[in-house]
Amino acid sequence: MAMADIYQNNYMSMAPTERRFEPYAFNGGNILAVAGEDFAIVASDTRLSQGFMIHSRDHPKAVQLSSSTVLAQSGFEGDITTLKKHVKIRIDMYEHNHGKKASTSAIASMISKMLYYKRFFPYYVYNIVAGLDDVGKGCVFSYDPVGSYEREQYRAAGAANELLQPLLDNQIGHKNMEGDFLPLSKEKALQLCIDCFISAAERDITTGDCVFLHVIDKDGIATKEFPLRRD
Amino acid sequence: MATTVSCLELPKGGFSFDNCARNARLEERGLTRPKFRKTGTTIVGLVFEDGVILGADTRATEDTIVADKNCSKIHYIAPNIYCCGAGTAADTEKTTEMISSNLQLHRYRTGRPNRVATANRMLKQYLYRYQGYVSAALVLGGVDCNGPHLYSIHPHGSTDKLPYVTMGSGSLAAMATFEAGYKANMKKADAMQLVRDAVAAGIFNDLGSGSNVDLCIIGKDMKVEYLRPFDVANKKGVRQGNYSYKPGTTAVLSKSIKQIKYDIVSESVQEDMDTS
Amino acid sequence: MFMTRSEYDRGVNTFSPEGRIFQVEYAIEAIKLGSTAMGIQTSEGVVLAVEKRITSPLIEPASIEKIFEIDRHVGCAMSGLIADSKTMIDKARVEAQNHWFTYDERMNVESITKSVSNLALQFGEEDSEPGAMSRPFGVALLFAGYDEKGPQLFHLDPSGTFVNCLAKAIGSASEGAQTSLEEQYHKSMTLKEATKCVLGILKQVMEEKLTATNVEVASVTKEENYHMFSKAEIEEYMKDL
Repeated sequence: MAMADIYQNNYMSMAPTERRFEPYAFNGGNILAVAGEDFAIVASDTRLSQGFMIHSRDHPKAVQLSSSTVLAQSGFEGDITTLKKHVKIRIDMYEHNHGKKASTSAIASMISKMLYYKRFFPYYVYNIVAGLDDVGKGCVFSYDPVGSYEREQYRAAGAANELLQPLLDNQIGHKNMEGDFLPLSKEKALQLCIDCFISAAERDITTGDCVFLHVIDKDGIATKEFPLRRD
Repeated sequence: MATTVSCLELPKGGFSFDNCARNARLEERGLTRPKFRKTGTTIVGLVFEDGVILGADTRATEDTIVADKNCSKIHYIAPNIYCCGAGTAADTEKTTEMISSNLQLHRYRTGRPNRVATANRMLKQYLYRYQGYVSAALVLGGVDCNGPHLYSIHPHGSTDKLPYVTMGSGSLAAMATFEAGYKANMKKADAMQLVRDAVAAGIFNDLGSGSNVDLCIIGKDMKVEYLRPFDVANKKGVRQGNYSYKPGTTAVLSKSIKQIKYDIVSESVQEDMDTS
Repeated sequence: MFMTRSEYDRGVNTFSPEGRIFQVEYAIEAIKLGSTAMGIQTSEGVVLAVEKRITSPLIEPASIEKIFEIDRHVGCAMSGLIADSKTMIDKARVEAQNHWFTYDERMNVESITKSVSNLALQFGEEDSEPGAMSRPFGVALLFAGYDEKGPQLFHLDPSGTFVNCLAKAIGSASEGAQTSLEEQYHKSMTLKEATKCVLGILKQVMEEKLTATNVEVASVTKEENYHMFSKAEIEEYMKDL
């Protein structure tokens, strides 16, 4: 409990207290992306928090970058805002300079370099890029905060990634299971994304309020919302 | 024999400080202490026309993970006294249990019901002795021969006696509700609603608090109503998918069947059960 | 004519009253002193061919290079003051690598040409980027490459202007060569025919006799990327001329 910490750390202690610049905060929440044969789904909750405080119940963590690419981010909101702004500007510049739409893989590669550029004062942001690739297949790219990235079929990141990733490994990756499995349908993927967030909201205090979904396919990007518990 | 200590030696009472020096040395070398389960909490109490109402949420957390979705934070102290606890779960539970048993002994010796002031004094003296290291923040409420009483007790041992109090990480949200809605000599139903609203404010606006609202009403007639849950403020999310597995999902890597040799020690034949 | 020009042909930052910048025009004239270079874009790929002027038997022909690889999918031929092209080639190579590094994809031929064009335009600027000079470059370039739009051929002149071409000749014999290209080019040309065509035209317009040593040929295709022809390959084509 916060009150006990205040008493123990500041009031009681006779030892000298170290004071230093704390450039990062953690604003909670979860992001998740799943790639299918000809679609990709990005899901994120809409709660923005710090410590035990809820700043917003209506703050989606995913943003559309192009007609076939969505970026989801979780971590420190200050860095998220800045990075997102830079990414959007870079994509606009790319489109002006090269006279074409930036592909999902080009955006993915560019973000990796933008993160590594800050190798020694990193953006405290976990990114997932999802969309359609050059041949129209669903794709998901996940990153660490300093730019290591990989194309995958599914990925969860954020406060409760330890809760969500094993569920995806089981339900989409079919890890350590016998039998034939059907290819992932859009309906199953959507339902799984929502269930993941229902489960995360049960046990992670920073996840809740609402789950926001982006469904990316050849017809464009559709969005959906689904309510979660609010405590 | 003088240097050996029996491993069966039972604790004599009080805390064991055996490993304090060792742990301090280990921490200097970079060991981090284990994290304790804390009840980031909303606990409240209110005096109304006909007694005292205590209220609490039911979430227990370990860092940002919910450890218990329906834990009980209103503890029994005496038949006429209850106490809500916030802070390190173990501290609130053990402290209230210990005071509770000491008050039981007190009742045996005096042959009378305990007074709330007695419980308050015992708690604050105990907490003061441990200088805040026993991190229990309490809301103590009860009714005795002098009427209803309500105390808030801080981890260092300071106490307040007030008509309405809140404690825990959700105390600000709850107090805001009390400040807006409290009136002296409230009717029971109104008081219950206000306490529920105060706890709900904590549940929804403080991430450390959640799930349900528990209430405990101690009337001037010393009758206790322990309502758990009083209100299910949050419904558990309903998953849409089916997460069961077909038989044979787990791979069988190898099979071997072994005969277990045994001796027949005795045999008995059971009569057929009447299944008609 | 020259009397009127003389007042305005010294600075690169002054228009003449007729609205001309003479230094740029003179730079374009300088190209016409250079050896002939040609390129043809076909549906299979692009071919580049350049005449090498070996002015003395004491010159090592291999040391004269007028076609360069910019990236695996782009080549560049030139005519004019070859030394001036070095910084432009460097710029093109750096930009192409930078683009691949950042976006994990090959840079479009047009974008590469545009980035070099930006450098070519920075003459006379005070705080220009490294590589820019106080005068216009005295060289014209032909960028040939293969990207998502297919085979591409771009012509860049000292003014910084660049144009997408189906076939283009630059250098001393460019006028005659361009006329021949216009006569011989057709849409269904194969890369082989185009190679034969450029060598044939070079043979006509060159003052010296065409040999495998005094010409450079390179092609860019989807399958083989940039490919510089060996002496043997050139000789193979010359048999049929």
